[in-house]
Amino acid sequence: MTRTDLLSIQGLRTEFPTPDGPLAAVNGVDLEIARGDVLGIVGESGSGKTVLGLSIMGLVDRPGRVAAGRIAFDGTDVTAFSEAQWQGLRGNRVAMIFQDPTTSLNPVQRIGTQMIEAIQAHRDISSGAARQIVREAMVRVGINSPDERLAAYPHQFSGGMRQRVVIAIALLNEPDLIIADEPTTALDVTVQSQILRDMRRLCRDSGSALIWISHDLGVVAQIANRVAVMYAGRIVEQGATMELLKSPSHPYTAGLMASMPANSPRGQRLISIPGGLPQLSNMPKGCSFAPRCTRATEACEVLPDLSFISRGHGVRCVFPLHVGASLAERN
Amino acid sequence: MLAFVLRRVMQSVVVLFVMSLVVFSMINLVGDPVDMLVNPESLPEEIDRVRRDFGLDQPVHVQYWKFLLGAISGDLGKSFIFGRPALALMAERFPATLELATSALVISVTVGLPLGVYAGLRPDGWGTRIIMGGSVLGISVPTFWLGLMMIIVFSVVLGWLPVSGRGETARFLGIESSAFTLDGLRHLVLPATNLALFKIAMVIRLARAGTVEVMALDFIRFARAKGLAPRRIVLAHLMPNILIPIVTVLGIEFGTLIAFATVTESIFAWPGLGKLVIDAIVNLDRPIVVAYLLFVVTLFLVLNLVVDIIYALLDPRVRLQGDET
Repeated sequence: MTRTDLLSIQGLRTEFPTPDGPLAAVNGVDLEIARGDVLGIVGESGSGKTVLGLSIMGLVDRPGRVAAGRIAFDGTDVTAFSEAQWQGLRGNRVAMIFQDPTTSLNPVQRIGTQMIEAIQAHRDISSGAARQIVREAMVRVGINSPDERLAAYPHQFSGGMRQRVVIAIALLNEPDLIIADEPTTALDVTVQSQILRDMRRLCRDSGSALIWISHDLGVVAQIANRVAVMYAGRIVEQGATMELLKSPSHPYTAGLMASMPANSPRGQRLISIPGGLPQLSNMPKGCSFAPRCTRATEACEVLPDLSFISRGHGVRCVFPLHVGASLAERN
Repeated sequence: MLAFVLRRVMQSVVVLFVMSLVVFSMINLVGDPVDMLVNPESLPEEIDRVRRDFGLDQPVHVQYWKFLLGAISGDLGKSFIFGRPALALMAERFPATLELATSALVISVTVGLPLGVYAGLRPDGWGTRIIMGGSVLGISVPTFWLGLMMIIVFSVVLGWLPVSGRGETARFLGIESSAFTLDGLRHLVLPATNLALFKIAMVIRLARAGTVEVMALDFIRFARAKGLAPRRIVLAHLMPNILIPIVTVLGIEFGTLIAFATVTESIFAWPGLGKLVIDAIVNLDRPIVVAYLLFVVTLFLVLNLVVDIIYALLDPRVRLQGDET
């Protein structure tokens, strides 16, 4: 998996300073993404998944900063990039789509202007040529009569249409990697599944790798071939989607799956994981999930390393599930 | 849009009428203008004759009725002092005030907007601290005192600029202005800057607040994610969004620039409307005072309407709603 890595992250730590010392929203994250890969990052609000995405884009708002670790994009370490180098990378080789399509577009600029500028920021071409590329991009994401639409303002579009425009903008320069931060959360379910399908097709056509960030394991399962589960700034489990769903090894992953409405028996209360995310300022010493975990013992007061259950399926837990079970079956 | 404008014009007429009523009755409480017009040693018959000549012997409501009839036909009465129509006197003085207020507006935007945006983009910089400190001074130090200080420093001590007056004027494109001659410009710099100081501080604060607010929005982050240069983000994405509230406020403030030019005009002996009305108040020259106040009210009504229209042009969301009505 290391030969063709497009993005390789090692020991990433993103901090925000506070009067009581820096807080790490992302803490010791390792990730690899190959070309054409679709990686899902799952976690609840505040687990650090958005900050992880912004760190890869070099867009962490001051005074937050990437404090440690290495982000290598196509073999180049980008953590030491200057602002000008970032500009050349962003929107060109790595694009990002944000959660809320209603606020991602400038309300007082025409859609066309906002699309053409994304091309002209990276390529020295005429407005006419850029307009032609934009028109094709609009059709690709399923927006008909693009000429009319290009002259419109964002408020004249529906939420789903706006997100299609945002996706079209992200695809304009045929990036190697697209980071989609909950791009369907603000949309209703039918539009959500359409966009999900389109995104998968568009990434396959262009060969772009995709990082799909979501709190919804169900959505991620539909699109990703690999999944990383984030909890309190750390990746607690990662592996191929099918394997991870079949045999979740971290108690948190298992809890997430059990709490999916589809997995609950009809007519019964939905299952939820008791408790909430720990405060970043008050992190448990060892495993950050231990306070909510039914399997926790004193042994969990030491931070567990990532251990591999099978090829490419890693888990950060002292007492992983299923491993014991499968061993017991074998005996 | 047309219906909107018509409705606003109707409202304006009502406001004007009420205002004229208030102004007219108030001015009658201030004092008897006849005392100012005649020699104190005149005979009682002489005083009565003057009183009759100006129609001041009649009851207030009759005087108001006559005034109202005149006003509808565009006659706001004759100045007691100059013996000429109040409107004509004001029309003579208006260009000087307009020139002063416009210059002050231009100065406040060209100076205030870049400083405010800079302060908003670098909230922790030392430059920002200086700018914001300066804007507090600009808002809290009285204009008249600053005006006097400017005269002392730049005119009396350094001798760079003239102390007072409008200087030489020239005609260009049918407009008579001192902005078209070097001497006129030298006369204009101090009063215009003095009048602009408060507005500069205000524009800085508005621009900074707007910048801080807009830069935190998602579409700015998305613009950065597109890989746009900071210059493009500021000019194409930040500016149009912060201009909406600034234009609104400045439109209304243009009215106060003209109205409050009174103080600056008095200090710099600028021959504008402000000076005319101050003299009229001192001399109890009723028609001038009434005409001036009605003019200021009209000015504010018109400016409010113009601002609403510009607002619609700047913000496409408002434009759409306007089209539907």
